[in-house]
Amino acid sequence: MSRASTVLAQARARDLAGVAAERHVIVCTGAGGVGKTTTAAALAVAAARQGRRTLVLTIDPAWRLAQSLGLPRIGGEPRAVEQVPGLDAMMLDMKRTFDDVIDRYAPDRRRAERIKSNRFYTQLSDSLAGTQEYMAMEKLYELHATSGYDCLVVDTPPTRSALDFLDAPKRLTDFLEGRFLSTFLSPGITAGRTLGRVAAFGSGLMLKAASRITGAGVLEDLAEFFQSFEGMYEGFKNRAQATYRLLRSHQSAFVVVASPETPALREARYFLQRLAQDGMPTAGLVVNRTTPALPPRLSGLRRTHADGAARLLEEGGPERLAAATLLRLAVDRADVRRREQYAIAAALHGVDPHTLVEVPLMATDICDVAGLEALSAYLLRTPEGTRE
Amino acid sequence: MLDPRLLIVTGKGGVGKSTVAAALAVAAARTGRRTCLVEVEGRQTLHHLFETAPWDFAEREFRPGLWGLSIDPDASLAQYLEMFYGARRLSKLVVGSTAVEFATTAAPGIKDVLLIGKVKEIERRRDPDGRLRYDLIVVDAPPTGRIVRFLRAPEATTELVAVGPIRSQAQAVIDLLLDWDRTRIQLVTMLEEMPVAETVEAAAALHGLGVAVGPLLVNRVLPARFDEQSRKALIDDLLPGELAGILGEVGIEVGEDAAAELRDLGAGHLQRLDLQQRMRESLDDALALPTLELPYVYGAQFGPEVVSVIALVIEDALQGGSDEVDAT
Repeated sequence: MSRASTVLAQARARDLAGVAAERHVIVCTGAGGVGKTTTAAALAVAAARQGRRTLVLTIDPAWRLAQSLGLPRIGGEPRAVEQVPGLDAMMLDMKRTFDDVIDRYAPDRRRAERIKSNRFYTQLSDSLAGTQEYMAMEKLYELHATSGYDCLVVDTPPTRSALDFLDAPKRLTDFLEGRFLSTFLSPGITAGRTLGRVAAFGSGLMLKAASRITGAGVLEDLAEFFQSFEGMYEGFKNRAQATYRLLRSHQSAFVVVASPETPALREARYFLQRLAQDGMPTAGLVVNRTTPALPPRLSGLRRTHADGAARLLEEGGPERLAAATLLRLAVDRADVRRREQYAIAAALHGVDPHTLVEVPLMATDICDVAGLEALSAYLLRTPEGTRE
Repeated sequence: MLDPRLLIVTGKGGVGKSTVAAALAVAAARTGRRTCLVEVEGRQTLHHLFETAPWDFAEREFRPGLWGLSIDPDASLAQYLEMFYGARRLSKLVVGSTAVEFATTAAPGIKDVLLIGKVKEIERRRDPDGRLRYDLIVVDAPPTGRIVRFLRAPEATTELVAVGPIRSQAQAVIDLLLDWDRTRIQLVTMLEEMPVAETVEAAAALHGLGVAVGPLLVNRVLPARFDEQSRKALIDDLLPGELAGILGEVGIEVGEDAAAELRDLGAGHLQRLDLQQRMRESLDDALALPTLELPYVYGAQFGPEVVSVIALVIEDALQGGSDEVDAT
């Protein structure tokens, strides 16, 4: 057996039971539409079933977790999931989290109000690079520090690159304390004076160029907005670093989620590599919606053989016709199984996910607690989940 | 369906939006349209689908009649500055600088305006003989979760920025997006609970924007396979032992256990078909859009093969006569 296939075999033998039973923070990440939110909710159900006070926090604006949990909607407050004792769910309210952050770090109420009344404030909360990720971290840390939950399960924002989540604290603080910003915030600009001085020439040119893009007036308003943050950066930065340390510690676990298709797996590979590089505690890769293996006698069936047999059967009655269709379905599924397995092996070449769980495509969609229980049985490889 | 000049393809993550965008472009090229397939936000998915080298900001004809490019906002900004100011030196200086990063990320939507602005420029481009360069432009746009913000960016920009070149650029982009003759938004979905819910939500939001929404493209539709009688036989009375016996008659020896699994496989397939039917009905109830169903592609490979099969289905639908696709 090659080293690569040994790593895969070992990863397939492990499960996520320990993660659900012990870790304090579980972060689910991966490409959009792979079942991240559902996986997070299933892990949260598993943790709560172990008697741990658990909160699942979603950042997804599409209310998908609400659907998963059969709730009509989730507000910006933790809300008990009726069918699962010990489990709360909440949706991250971006605007409110941002407001809280401003209130916490602003030196006084007046300053806080000044920021919150700026015309850029609301737009910024969802357009500034990294803001959404930063707010998710912020909320996560706040819950960790104050809420008393044993287990916090969070799914990452639906950003194109899941790495944004990991980079969020650094990117935002870099941005906020950037060199440009400090020149930009020099009083000369906001006071509207000309930038004739030699020292200011460089940044003046930049500003002129930038103004050409945005139109006059806009940058001045922005400068004022950012200037009102002055003195708060230290608070942002410390908090971001504390969050990063929390995520890096062994209280935390990252679960990467994918579908068995190449683009999602490529993203998962990239993320696993990046987690390893940062020394983050990777707990496993969950591949949802996979095609399960058929018994050897069926999976080894050649298409030509199956086609020939099916043609003979199609001349018979309904039972024989059904058997013929089942044969064709089986060889088609075996093909799909092969391409998926190939894609998974390719994505994990040279990468160790620690645990690999392949969850078969269920006969129905998961949109209630029973569905989440079924999913968590696979993640934990508890008896009903190991049957394939 | 391929009659407008610009198709903006969106859908929930995981429904195969990029694959369908690629298939639309292939179908257009095969039916004689000079077609440009555009990837935004530097996602780098499409070149994998066609197994070509990575795409960049320069359009390249990677198949006869089919061009591809990947737009990233910094490159479109540089080109924009150059075009409007002849400012090659200036653009070199500022693009990628923190100043521009600041201006473009902080002033909401400017990057999106520049992205769509580039698409607009491609749409208007003419050859030396005066003929429009492309017959069709297909954009693999952001997913439904972000599409409204993406399409609303020009308007948001005009609200914030009263004058200047960005303002006029934004206005031109709005004119293109709202031109029902030229532009259509293609929603891609799948017959499952969450994609259907998100599609219904997105369709309402898109109607609110005043853009034209094209036929709904329903991807990964499972074939029925079983006719009514064999379906009934499978559900009602085909016991594993009996199935193993039938297969034995034609030389396929499986044990009773394997036969039971085969039977479960069929039952699972039928359940997914029932789900599909329910979802089809709820889409029909919620949306008054013509629909084109695209098949789930079985087979040994992802990528070009899948794109090709879906493109053929789209072509067949086009040849079915009118440009209106039947509700299925």
